[in-house]
Amino acid sequence: MKVSKGDIFERVFVNEEVNLQIDQESGSHVKIHVINASFSITVNQLGEGCHTEIYALEHLRGEENVTAETHVTHAVGGGSSNQLIKFVLDDNSRGRFIGDLKIAQDAQQTEAHQTNRNLLLSEEAEMRTQPQLEIYADDVKATHGASTGQLDESALFYMQQRGIGKEKARQLLVNAFMKDVIETIGDQYADVREQLLNTIDGVVE
Amino acid sequence: MKELLRIENLHASIGGKEILKGVNLVINEGEVHAIMGPNGAGKSTLSAVLTGNPAYEVTEGKVWLRGEDLLAMEPEVRARAGVFLSFQYPVEIPGVSMTNFMRTAINEKRAYEGKEPLSAKEFLALMREKKKLLELPDKLNNRSVNEGFSGGEKKKNEIFQMAMLNPCLAILDETDSGLDIDALRIVAEGVNRLKTPQNASIVITHYQRLLDYIVPDFVHVLADGQIVKTGDKNLALELEEKGYEGL
Ligand SMILES: Nc1ncnc2c1ncn2[C@@H]1O[C@H](COP(=O)(O)OP(=O)(O)OP(=O)(O)O)[C@@H](O)[C@H]1O
Ligand SMILES: [Mg+2]
Repeated sequence: MKVSKGDIFERVFVNEEVNLQIDQESGSHVKIHVINASFSITVNQLGEGCHTEIYALEHLRGEENVTAETHVTHAVGGGSSNQLIKFVLDDNSRGRFIGDLKIAQDAQQTEAHQTNRNLLLSEEAEMRTQPQLEIYADDVKATHGASTGQLDESALFYMQQRGIGKEKARQLLVNAFMKDVIETIGDQYADVREQLLNTIDGVVE
Repeated sequence: MKELLRIENLHASIGGKEILKGVNLVINEGEVHAIMGPNGAGKSTLSAVLTGNPAYEVTEGKVWLRGEDLLAMEPEVRARAGVFLSFQYPVEIPGVSMTNFMRTAINEKRAYEGKEPLSAKEFLALMREKKKLLELPDKLNNRSVNEGFSGGEKKKNEIFQMAMLNPCLAILDETDSGLDIDALRIVAEGVNRLKTPQNASIVITHYQRLLDYIVPDFVHVLADGQIVKTGDKNLALELEEKGYEGL
């Protein structure tokens, strides 16, 4: 599909597999959220000054197996892209993130950020992360980071010391980890955002 | 006088290294016990073991809280039963707001006591009251637990939580370190105001200064994993003058 000059394409996909190939014309804006589903999203910034945002939150349990795939290409300059991909993996689940980020030689003054954070809640769960950066322009600002960790034991103990049960403490930490992705959902999808925030904030009661 | 806590021949280790080497201590309701001692003596280890920190292993000994086997309880049950630790190094919990954290803690404790959860209104009123006690700014509670708090704010926040939870045994592990002179007074006054004939506290400190405000009934010296000397408040003055070498 094509996002025309100056247009905005904004979507939130919940529990729905996503396969998208998008060409962006100059000044266009793409903002996509994927919650709990595999996806493959390819975005080509073909015009100047495009903006691309891809956010994903994958909370996997049981035998679930999810692959998140992004291919973002900055063909011309002056654009920006931001990706935040988070996995929470419980039980025997498997997660995979493939993130290709390419900044072509002509794409000067591009700003591109790609972040992948993963939380392993069980010893059996597994996460594979394959970021791939190809940067051919020299006047760019690009960052990428990937990390996979476990719940902070000292934070868990701190909460237990205040009387919070271990399970609830874990839940609070997991929710804290997930929250920032959901908070990036725009007002056009406010109802979806509030519903997702409610499901993770229900812990208080 | 009713016995609150009894520690008998407590040994504990971390990473296979023995730190506590036979601690004995009895604390009655209404008492304030100061524990002093050189760096690395095992003071924080004692706090950690009493509160059930899983990083430490108890190898010998017994601890009773009001006659119940404390060491058999999960950390959260000890907390609900009224054991509170003001951490030497409070932990930052990004993404968990003070309000959400505190409300969860209070309501878990109330459930344990068979009480109804506090309504949002009651809870906020309690927060406001206790914040005032510590002269804490309102905005701190919209932030994540301890995240980005200054050293002194973290310590004040510990005593704020103590005020919210109203423990029967408060362990204050170097709550005075990092506090400016005014904050020290506010924190100490807060602790004193929370004192009742039924609760007790263990005050771990390196400095006599705090004990000018929170006057202890007993002062113990913990050195190399054992309580090597016990006295009244004058022992702290003596230590200030002569140091541990002078013992
Ligand atoms: N993970 C660990 N492995 C081995 N030794 C440890 C570990 N953690 C702590 N220790 C040691 O345990 C001893 C007791 O530490 P603790 O924190 O209880 O001392 P403290 O009396 O509180 O000292 P301070 O006055 O400096 O706070 C120290 O020698 C410390 O190095
Ligand atoms: Mg210590």
